[in-house]
Amino acid sequence: MRIDDSPIQAHAGSKSRRHLPLYLATAALLAVSLAALMSRPPVVVHGTLTATDPGPRPLPAAAGSFYSALTPNQSSITTRLTQIFTEVNFVAGGPLVKTVGLGPRFNSNSCSSCHGYPSVGGSSPPNNPLFGIYQLQGATNTMPYFITSTGPVIVARFPYKSDGVTPDGGVHQMFTISNRTDAPGCTTMVQPDFTTAQSNNDIIFRQTTPTYGTGLMELIQESDIIANMNSNLSLKASLGITGHANYSDDDGTITRFGWKAQNKSLLYFAGEAYTVEEGVSDEAFPSENDESIPSCLPPFPVPAGTNKTKGVPDDRNDTGEAPKAPVNFPGDLERFSLFMRFLAPPTPVAPTPSTSNGFVQFQNVGCNMCHNVSFTTPASSIAALSHVTATLYSDLLVHDMGPGLADNVKQGNATGDQFRTAPLWGIGQRYFFLHDGRTTNIVTAIEDHRSFANGVYPNSEANTVINNFDALSPTNQQDLVNFLRSL
Amino acid sequence: MNQVQAQLSKHKWLKSVLPISLLLLVAAGATAYFPRSAKGGVLATVTAVDPGPRPLPANAGTFLPSLSANEQQIEPSITTEFNRVHDVVVTSPTDGGLGPRFNSNSCASCHQYPAVGGSSPPSNPLFSVYQLNGATNTMPFFITSTGPILEARFINQPGTTTPDGNVHQNFTVVGRSDAHGCSITQPDFTGAATANNLVLRQVPPTYGDGLIEVVRNIDIVNNMNSNLTTKAALGITGHPNYSGNDGSIQRFGWKAQVRSTLLMAAQQMNVEMGVTNETFPNEIDQTPGCVFNGVPETVTNFTPGILTEMFPGDAERTEYFIQWMAPPTPGPSSPSTNNGKTQFTNAGCVMCHTTSYKTPPTSRPALGNITIKLYSDLLVHHMGPGLADGLAQGGAGPDEFRTAPLWGIGQRLFFMHDGRTNNIVTAIEDHFSLGNSTYPASEANQTVTNFNNLSSKNQQDLVNFLRSL
Repeated sequence: MRIDDSPIQAHAGSKSRRHLPLYLATAALLAVSLAALMSRPPVVVHGTLTATDPGPRPLPAAAGSFYSALTPNQSSITTRLTQIFTEVNFVAGGPLVKTVGLGPRFNSNSCSSCHGYPSVGGSSPPNNPLFGIYQLQGATNTMPYFITSTGPVIVARFPYKSDGVTPDGGVHQMFTISNRTDAPGCTTMVQPDFTTAQSNNDIIFRQTTPTYGTGLMELIQESDIIANMNSNLSLKASLGITGHANYSDDDGTITRFGWKAQNKSLLYFAGEAYTVEEGVSDEAFPSENDESIPSCLPPFPVPAGTNKTKGVPDDRNDTGEAPKAPVNFPGDLERFSLFMRFLAPPTPVAPTPSTSNGFVQFQNVGCNMCHNVSFTTPASSIAALSHVTATLYSDLLVHDMGPGLADNVKQGNATGDQFRTAPLWGIGQRYFFLHDGRTTNIVTAIEDHRSFANGVYPNSEANTVINNFDALSPTNQQDLVNFLRSL
Repeated sequence: MNQVQAQLSKHKWLKSVLPISLLLLVAAGATAYFPRSAKGGVLATVTAVDPGPRPLPANAGTFLPSLSANEQQIEPSITTEFNRVHDVVVTSPTDGGLGPRFNSNSCASCHQYPAVGGSSPPSNPLFSVYQLNGATNTMPFFITSTGPILEARFINQPGTTTPDGNVHQNFTVVGRSDAHGCSITQPDFTGAATANNLVLRQVPPTYGDGLIEVVRNIDIVNNMNSNLTTKAALGITGHPNYSGNDGSIQRFGWKAQVRSTLLMAAQQMNVEMGVTNETFPNEIDQTPGCVFNGVPETVTNFTPGILTEMFPGDAERTEYFIQWMAPPTPGPSSPSTNNGKTQFTNAGCVMCHTTSYKTPPTSRPALGNITIKLYSDLLVHHMGPGLADGLAQGGAGPDEFRTAPLWGIGQRLFFMHDGRTNNIVTAIEDHFSLGNSTYPASEANQTVTNFNNLSSKNQQDLVNFLRSL
């Protein structure tokens, strides 16, 4: 457990004092670089960290149901929407069902494989699903070093191009369709060289975000987000908290999805993820994600009478085919977005004296200055989403999180060390925390919010709040953690 | 160096520099006085005359002929969608949603000429839109009755140095009978213009966009990397504007800032008309009293028994309309236009205005394996201080613009991103501008100089060729 090397125990400064003065400078330098490497510089001890993570609440899932307020017409298509979200994509061939278009590069083959826990629509399950996918259909992929059987589903981005200077920031998919039996002719597309990227310190990871309640997040009014940003300014100033919105270049409104709040809407996000994560090109992003090897592009030479995509985009609305039920007219990306839009937020457990006190402490130490408890949606054309108080625990802003969390990828106006305040609803059943899934321990996740400025990035805006947390009594600390695990 | 030597060398310096500076001064004066002639190289004369736009009937505005029977069946409903006039209040899943701020009330009002889907018509349609239903808008100074339809962007947020870049809509719904109680004001365009903070962009046509969007990225890059010696000699470089989402090459908009017809349609619905949709679900202005509908204003229509194509929101139907429009049909070629095409190549125009791309196999067969003669490389290029508008978008810098596709310009009325001229010869010359301390020289300078150096006949033939497209 990472909690054993929390900054309270690891006091690098005390060791150097035992060395001869001659070596003091060197030792101090080493200590500083070691601390920088670990993102855990020695800090003033404000308290003793005693809280332990009770771990994720067991199944059954407290999330994954659709809004009970959906209209009968909306409810009538949810089964079909779930089918689409869980469908497994193949490259080509097989029976004539509409589940082709995978690759040429991909991270997984269905939405729900990664958005799988505690129910369809969620995030990484305890057992990594990629092991059941990467060599499917005879694919010759090797598993990247950073994927482990009990670790989070993460995707890789390279902050810089191979020159080490030019910004990249894009997702580099883990797998290719080379040698899959449903990709006849595609044999030569190679996986990215993740090991070299690692040795060049040019690889960062992002884990799967849950989609519950995102239909509400999408509709929260800009004016409410800004009003919340401009509230409690003196308290925020004393805590070192600022934060700002990430804006869309398209229509100038606030973007809110993804680890850096880089995505505008569920439809936009679905369109991006389909081509980036699965390689299924769609009407929002119609290009295949690697066009360099013609034999790895559709149409594939599969037998007549089997399924294949004729070309780009792999998935589109069904205008060309025989008349269908209306729900089968739009492309998958529209249906993915409807699926996510209709998913209700997770249900927290009933409060106990411990969690109730934990919520008070959550506010007392200042967590809620970023993890803003709730927003209320405006009037919506979808009645189930209209005037709903979304208890999401996020201000939907991005904040400087210091060198310890910085991933050197700039997205929109979220800089290399800025991240969206992750909504906390549902973390009671979450397995992996922070953007790269670096820990399964929620106490470590709290502590990891603290890191100190280096030459590149400023202090984490959370530093004082974490100090406040550490200074709480053992009971209050534990109650706060219990509160989080009740969400 | 002793004093005498120093004086001598100072003298020498003066001797050699004075005449040059004098010459430069004269040249600068001449440039200011005879802008056109001096711009393109002192010796050349521009004698070509713009024959003007080819008259109607329109050479564009039909759907791709090879669409399937099922696709053809829904052409009427997507055309209805593109023509739909939006009022403020939503009464069915397909109407309403205008404002609170807007530039116009239907797609077709601006994308109108020479046929629905195109660009600005000769008479500015905004004059019949801005005070509709009792709206109390005043017409911004930059909109004239025979000028192009323009929208405004601000470089910085007014009165600050904070970058803005967004569209600031010309009009509001204030005063409209279907918008009681709304009180907001139009942007201060005059103030923005005075502060040098105003950027104007005109309406690009949509014909052939469904073909442009499927061109392979790798073909665009390969074309970029071809003819490098010729391009270097002409001073042409250029680069793609990449999507931050999937890393593919964006192709739509004056700076190639939009990836696809779906994203374009959805963005435009919110930005130009204020109709929130499932891709852009938030009102741009949420002032209480000015929001009359639940968001998003156009949504998936769950009415039982509805036609399949009426199931998704308006943005998708608008997308299909744009996606299925066939490219414009060029006019008949003549000996003059044939020679003009040769001169177009010889002068170097073709190094950016790439003649054609071929679309790859597509899932919608009507769009696949077609050679499209768009006359664009789909890259962005430095165009010098003369065209620079100060706005960076994605990977396109403040002086960079996408090579505008030339198909259909034979019937186009306004040219350049801000519609600054209706004379195609002026438009060519406006590609020339020398670098200053802020921006490098236009990549087109040598090509425009080459054009100016053509014989009178060759110049005219080149212009005739353009007007044949």
